[in-house]
Amino acid sequence: MALEKLYQSILLEHNRQPRNCKRLASATHRARGHDASCGDDLLIELTVIDGRIREAAFSGRACAVTQAAASMLTEWLQGRSVDEVGGGLDRFRALLENADAEPDEALGELNQLQPVGAFPARRRNALLPWKTALRALEASGTAAS
Amino acid sequence: MVDTMPIETVKSVVREQLDVMQLREQFPVLAREVHGKPLVYFDNAATVQRPLAVIEAVDDFYRRYNANVHRGVHQLSVEASEAFENSRRSVARLLNASSDREIVFTRGTTEAINLVANSFARPRLEPGDEILITHMEHHANIVPWQMLCEQTGAILKVAPINRRGELRMDALAGMIGERTRLIGVVHVSNALGTVNPVAEICRLAKAHDVPVLVDGAQATPHERIDVQALGCDFYCVSAHKMYGPTGIGALWARASILESMPPWQGGGEMIQWVSFEGTTYNEIPHRFEAGTPNIAGAIGWGAAIQWLEEIGVERMKAHEQKLLALATERMERIDGLTIIGQAAEKGPVISFTLDGVHPNDLGTIIDHHGVALRTGHHCAMPVMQFFEVPATARISFAAYNLHSEIDVFLHGLEQARTMLA
Repeated sequence: MALEKLYQSILLEHNRQPRNCKRLASATHRARGHDASCGDDLLIELTVIDGRIREAAFSGRACAVTQAAASMLTEWLQGRSVDEVGGGLDRFRALLENADAEPDEALGELNQLQPVGAFPARRRNALLPWKTALRALEASGTAAS
Repeated sequence: MVDTMPIETVKSVVREQLDVMQLREQFPVLAREVHGKPLVYFDNAATVQRPLAVIEAVDDFYRRYNANVHRGVHQLSVEASEAFENSRRSVARLLNASSDREIVFTRGTTEAINLVANSFARPRLEPGDEILITHMEHHANIVPWQMLCEQTGAILKVAPINRRGELRMDALAGMIGERTRLIGVVHVSNALGTVNPVAEICRLAKAHDVPVLVDGAQATPHERIDVQALGCDFYCVSAHKMYGPTGIGALWARASILESMPPWQGGGEMIQWVSFEGTTYNEIPHRFEAGTPNIAGAIGWGAAIQWLEEIGVERMKAHEQKLLALATERMERIDGLTIIGQAAEKGPVISFTLDGVHPNDLGTIIDHHGVALRTGHHCAMPVMQFFEVPATARISFAAYNLHSEIDVFLHGLEQARTMLA
């Protein structure tokens, strides 16, 4: 059933023990992502050196879907070139929008979030960390608070 | 207890009680299933469902006499205008207005407040003047005043609330001063359920000659409204909170005040004579109703008011208050559940948080039990900030809800907790 698929063990595991859930003193880029209607409030911090994301972290308060998505995304971002992030979001969005899509190798563990696609009202939760990371990267130069 | 009652008293008690099952039959949507479960609709504070009387009135208008109002001499236009104006009379009766001239149709409560902000308040504001609102307002009674203050140099003052979610009346009284130009207060809080002592606020305001605007969106389906007894100057309502259609509402204000207010939006209907040299404006309330109005909405609203009057707001309120008391008592027994908003007098609204379960996840899980509830900030972000929660879940009752539906909801809560534990 879709509900069990949504709250599968991997999502819950990331929710309970999120990776990279911390503040990043060395961050060069950061942005706050807010979903006012559901109360998600997320800070994404990135350390970018020579166009490559060396470290990614998030903090804040959010629902299980957003929290798990942020946890998986920050894992995925480590070591990526900043140019890959926009394309990653497009692939991730396509994954959510097509229930029959085969797992996308480029997305790694983020494929586990595909069941969110069956809940149109919750897609925004899975997308919020991505959009926030992109906004952080778009903010030019050193970290703004 | 019944044994000792005279038979006539027993009969009248039975008559006075709401026949909920019979009432439910009038709401087609309540018969549907959601995710294979019977719908339990607990999102009534967002919008209630519509009875057949309303659905059929709207349908009948489009089928039989759809025409523009106040525009033509032909029969359909005459019939449409008559039904439209009949609805205005129904709204006037509902609020105990002195005359239907005091009812301005708007898109809803939000537009009614914006109308007052722009047409009444704006010309009266000088830099340093004050608008006083409360910490529990809906965004609709915050943002129009913030925008106005930005544009005029006036200052927005906010009366505080206590931890139970009640207005601190002592503080509010102390905040009404020489520069206060208007007080805006919500009658019943959509986020907390608190019923505010509006009549008392109006008495305090009158001593300083300050007009009071009441946001009545959440009050009308649950309370008998009497604008004369309240002593307010503006009362704003939405049809869809009281079993009528969306996209229609009204502003009530005394005729003398409306007469003193300039038009807000320009267009057809609000004029008397237009030339390029100048335009004269229509009489109240039409002066404030530019453009073709939501005719079907107004007619449906009239049907909703008639329906409400037949069922009886007091009987509905008694039933809703029983549901509120039962649900509150049972929810208070749940470990880790916190009810946000515990005012002494409440409308049938329970906002809450559950440890370890984000409201969003709760909303999704409980939807699979067929239960529709609201999650988020309820358009009252300052309330969330006061209670230091990012969001809450909220259940809210209407007259057609059942005790057994509370059981379904509580079972869903348990499952959500188990699932996310």
